[in-house]
Amino acid sequence: MIKSCYIHIPFCKKICTYCDFCKFYYNEEWASKYLVSLENEIKLKYNNDLLDTLYIGGGTPSSLDISLFEKLLKICKTFRLNNNYEYTIEFNPEDINDEKLSLCKRYGVNRISIGIESFNKDNLKYLGRDYTNFKEKIDVVKKYFDNINVDLIYGLEIEDKNTLKKDLDKILELDVPHVSCYSLMIENHTILNNMGVKPIDEDIDFDMYKLINDKLKEYNHYEISNYAKEGFESRHNLTYWNNEEYYGFGVGAAAYIEDKRILNSKNILAYINKKYNSFIEELSKTDKISYELILGFRKTKGISIDDFYNKYNIDIKELYNIKDLIKDNKLIIKDKYISINSDYLYIENEILSNFV
Amino acid sequence: MNQEKIRNFAIIAHIDHGKSTLADRMLELSGNVSKREMTSQILDNMELEKERGITIKMNAVRLNYKGYEFNLIDTPGHVDFSYEVSRSLAACEGAILLVDATQGIEAQTLANYYLALENDLEVIPVINKIDLPNSDVEKVSNELINTFGFTKDEIILTSGKTGEGVDKLLDAVIDRVPAPKGNKNSKLKALIFDSVFDSYKGVIVHVRIIDGELNFKDKIRFMSNNSNYDITELGYTTPKIVNVDKLSSGDVGYICASIKTISDIKIGDTITLDNDPCDEPLKGYEEVKPMVYSGIFPVETREYDLLKDALEKLAINDASLTFIPETSKALGFGFRCGFLGLLHMDIIKERLEREFNLNIILTAPSVIYNVCLTNKDMVSISNPSDLPPVEKISYIEEPYIKTNIFTPIDYIGPIMELCENKRGTFRNMEYINETRVNIHYELPLSEIMYDFFDKLKSVTKGYASFDYELIGYRQNRLVKMDILLNGEKVDALSMIVHKDFAYNIGKNMVNRLRSIIPRQMFEVPIQAFINNKAIARETIKPLRKNVLAKCYGGDISRKKKLLEKQKEGKKKMKNIGSVEVPPEAFLEILNLRS
Repeated sequence: MIKSCYIHIPFCKKICTYCDFCKFYYNEEWASKYLVSLENEIKLKYNNDLLDTLYIGGGTPSSLDISLFEKLLKICKTFRLNNNYEYTIEFNPEDINDEKLSLCKRYGVNRISIGIESFNKDNLKYLGRDYTNFKEKIDVVKKYFDNINVDLIYGLEIEDKNTLKKDLDKILELDVPHVSCYSLMIENHTILNNMGVKPIDEDIDFDMYKLINDKLKEYNHYEISNYAKEGFESRHNLTYWNNEEYYGFGVGAAAYIEDKRILNSKNILAYINKKYNSFIEELSKTDKISYELILGFRKTKGISIDDFYNKYNIDIKELYNIKDLIKDNKLIIKDKYISINSDYLYIENEILSNFV
Repeated sequence: MNQEKIRNFAIIAHIDHGKSTLADRMLELSGNVSKREMTSQILDNMELEKERGITIKMNAVRLNYKGYEFNLIDTPGHVDFSYEVSRSLAACEGAILLVDATQGIEAQTLANYYLALENDLEVIPVINKIDLPNSDVEKVSNELINTFGFTKDEIILTSGKTGEGVDKLLDAVIDRVPAPKGNKNSKLKALIFDSVFDSYKGVIVHVRIIDGELNFKDKIRFMSNNSNYDITELGYTTPKIVNVDKLSSGDVGYICASIKTISDIKIGDTITLDNDPCDEPLKGYEEVKPMVYSGIFPVETREYDLLKDALEKLAINDASLTFIPETSKALGFGFRCGFLGLLHMDIIKERLEREFNLNIILTAPSVIYNVCLTNKDMVSISNPSDLPPVEKISYIEEPYIKTNIFTPIDYIGPIMELCENKRGTFRNMEYINETRVNIHYELPLSEIMYDFFDKLKSVTKGYASFDYELIGYRQNRLVKMDILLNGEKVDALSMIVHKDFAYNIGKNMVNRLRSIIPRQMFEVPIQAFINNKAIARETIKPLRKNVLAKCYGGDISRKKKLLEKQKEGKKKMKNIGSVEVPPEAFLEILNLRS
């Protein structure tokens, strides 16, 4: 039984300098055709499972004009949701208005994720994003929803700790229950990469990370980049980190179904022509365990030793060199959970590369 | 073939003076290789040789010219390989001394000429590359006349590129190189001058028949160890393989006898008939003495046997490569290998990596030190970490060389400065002509092992050439410097240095290591010690970030791929203590003294 579903809307009004997601400039005709194909793909593959979480991401789902936006929400009515579902849609701040939000409310959305990224005008310009009065926009969202996430990006070469500190102060002022903080990654095929931008010094990056952890103390730091008030953890993202299965619909979307990791074609023309030809990775038990570990250890609470045993019939402590890592104090056992020592969380790849 | 009509000769030259190209022209002229089959520089058939443009392994080819049988034996041009030159010369009666018309006599011209004289060969002086616009035949002729005492008439002018003069040269080989002297009716004596391992045929042994006759299906005996084999194949190369039933005195050819025991074959050994052996073996060669030693270790311990196998196979056609098992605390089981020089070491390293696909670590090369102990015993040390405790040492001697540096006079100043910085002592300077000199310095061998060639090249814009001979051992104030990584001594990084230079070298070394060893999960101190006293220290800061902050919309395969890549990277590292060290670190000492 699959309990989660991701829907990808690849359109944006503007392309951010750091983005390597599958995205295209918004075009009404294409968007309209895209939704037709999306509906088709869902019909083709969705098995009527009762979903726990539904997530519409992008691109910029909120960039769709109001009629297509409603069409998207209508399509998503196809999904059966359980009583205690989480249904998220991503918004760009400038798209926030009463009209779209009330539509969301009407169609059962109960969580809004907003890409603020920074309050600093230089930072925003660097990232290729627009400035608006974020506080006002969030206040509008709050009229309809209480489960709100905002994204923050840090670690820009033009940024110093002081700028980040101001961003964090403003985030705290917003008083939202969930914050994601991402260190800027310079990915291939992005504008920043083409400009020859290099990652910042890791010592500064780490200092910034410490500053974030410090400033967001009243939140629960439940995953490397995610902070939530009690009960507001992103259940959809926890599906990924708990290595559970999920649907993925849309161009370039990723899914995990029946022991296969599936990646849809990134070619939008092909997608519109209903060619979803995907890249499939079939997982062996060893692969599944690898994923379980590299994803599970992203959570600060770690992996439940009992759940792991029930799933694989293996004592997690017997795997790889986990015993040594525990002895070295790199992994910690607490309350029947095994987790990465928080001192090593920001260099977790050093530990995780043991498990692939 | 009538023995009177056989000519065995080699071409000797400084590197890049056009030896291989000239050989190609000879093959073409004799009709051995058609124009269509000509790939540039046929004799250099090892991939590495073509790439580097140098001949490492000699090859023998037979050509027919005007009813004569020519056996041309190619020779390496680099200073490291003078031993191999000497081996091929022993199979010849004559040598073509090739000099570039645009360059004149260089260091290896001189060295090779003396090798030819030692082997009692008839030397034919040739000025090559006369087609080039900047050639100066007049000047180079005078150098040949003044330096070696040739007469003007003896000198032949050629162009390997256009083929001009090559026929005259071949005629001169007929006229001037003596026919082989051996006796066909005596008992068989064949000199092994080279061997190669072939996975199908076993060892291929290249021989010069000195006396007697060798027939297909004869049973042969190697005189150094009395092992015997039935011949399975006899032949020569043109460079195509030609099988024959018989090789007679004066001939050059090869023998296959399903020889799988590599150690049975010794270059310089004499082959005779098992049922009718000769009394005395030929003089053979002096055992080659490696000048430079380095440890070779597999990155992964389980590749030890593969490495051993690979070294054995390389040694079969490289008599100058020696190796014995070595154990390092830091690097585990490996081999202490002896090389003729740094280029030789480099070539072996690359062959192990390319031809045998091995992941290896080379430790910094060392010369052999003579250590006199307080009890008057003398020990030889080729591995700095074997040096006895300082209180047991009375003094240490290191090998010295005398240089031949051929240079235009404009660069005398910079060269002298370079040599002084390398602890050199000036001896004298000879004028080759009014614009060029040969500078003689005495230098510790260890000093030219590092960046000497590169430095010489850069201070002389590539106009100088360099050769050296060993002149013996001298006492110096030498000390062992140890490197500690995370508090643990790394034996493979120990080195012997001059006391006056130790502080600088130590500082440089820890600094280099700091930049080459990646940051780890913990802080790593690097220290240089002399006699248990720290002289330098650097710290590698702990790793601060290695995390994929964003997990894109559920595309998780990508994260796994990234981790797999990181794991691959770690595999290439050597774990020392708990520090992951990249293999290059062990050679970093080479870049040190600059």
